Amino acid sequence: MKKLSLLTACLMFSAGVLAAAADQISVDKPYVRLLPPGVQTTGAFMVIRNAGDKDVKLVKADNPASRVTELHTHLNEGGIMKMRPVAAIEIKAKGEALLQPGGLHIMLIDLKVPLKEGDVVPITLGFDDGSSKKLDAKVLRAAPEAAMSHHHH
Amino acid sequence: MSERILLVIAGLLAAAVLGLALFWQPELPERPLPAAAALSGGDFTLQAANGPFSLHDLRGKVVLLYFGYTYCPDICPTSLAATAEGLKQLTPAELAKVAMVFISVDPERDTPARLKEYAEFFHSAMLGVTGTPENLAEIARRYGVFYARQPVATAGGDYVVDHSADTYVVDAAGKLVGKIAHATPPDQVVLAIRKYLNQP
Ligand SMILES: [Cu+2]
Repeated sequence: MKKLSLLTACLMFSAGVLAAAADQISVDKPYVRLLPPGVQTTGAFMVIRNAGDKDVKLVKADNPASRVTELHTHLNEGGIMKMRPVAAIEIKAKGEALLQPGGLHIMLIDLKVPLKEGDVVPITLGFDDGSSKKLDAKVLRAAPEAAMSHHHH
Repeated sequence: MSERILLVIAGLLAAAVLGLALFWQPELPERPLPAAAALSGGDFTLQAANGPFSLHDLRGKVVLLYFGYTYCPDICPTSLAATAEGLKQLTPAELAKVAMVFISVDPERDTPARLKEYAEFFHSAMLGVTGTPENLAEIARRYGVFYARQPVATAGGDYVVDHSADTYVVDAAGKLVGKIAHATPPDQVVLAIRKYLNQP
């Protein structure tokens, strides 16, 4: 126990000195897509912004609602859609990563209990420097306003 | 004790899935789509929750066909949600002349009952159907649909099915007339449906 708090203190100290990636990151309009009854896998979507002047890589995500959480993307190869895990999602310095249906997303695989509309799923994002960020994603039937059209302005 | 039984069941299931994967011969997984003009489309009969369904049952309506599977984590829900949103923007008179059919190319996992629940979640007018692997492969060939089961190294699942994700449009006479591309936003889905609705 003592060791753990010491470790935590060390981590917090180094985070303060080095400015952890997570401190530069903000997340906008996170949501989990409500899927039909019986479907045990769904996606989480959001806009991840990086206010820092260094590129940041999202390397993992975690959540208590599903047994497995993975980072995924879609590939369109000659009209055939493929969905594959990716090792990392890059958020450019002063830039953003768009996680949306049909593109990059966080997969919640093998849900422990069915999600209902309005449920809140806590998601922890893990970055390449070991820092992490927690956020709450609401379960919604459709994308929240502006999350989809974000590209256009 | 019961945990042990579960383990045995899990082991048997894993073996069954592995066996299936070995015997599953995916249809032409990667090849450019042939020109739409060469596709014959045509009638077919599959199984819905309430019995056999034939495309000719919908003669007189513009029919949207989508080939996918309910275990699809993101591609199918994205397409179906956009199409359903498009259907909701039609007037009741227009909607009465349109039908949407979701065809599962994963009959091992998708029963007609499961498909009914799945399709109706997106839109009450959406019908979910499937059939034997041979029947599905034959229909897919006529419509220019491609799908292939792929084992994916994910801890959560056994396999995914890569698939073409366009929505096929069949006119009131049962003829394949066009496609709506994957990820077409709902307002453009509406335009596409109206284009075919208003064709003589
Ligand atoms: Cu799909």
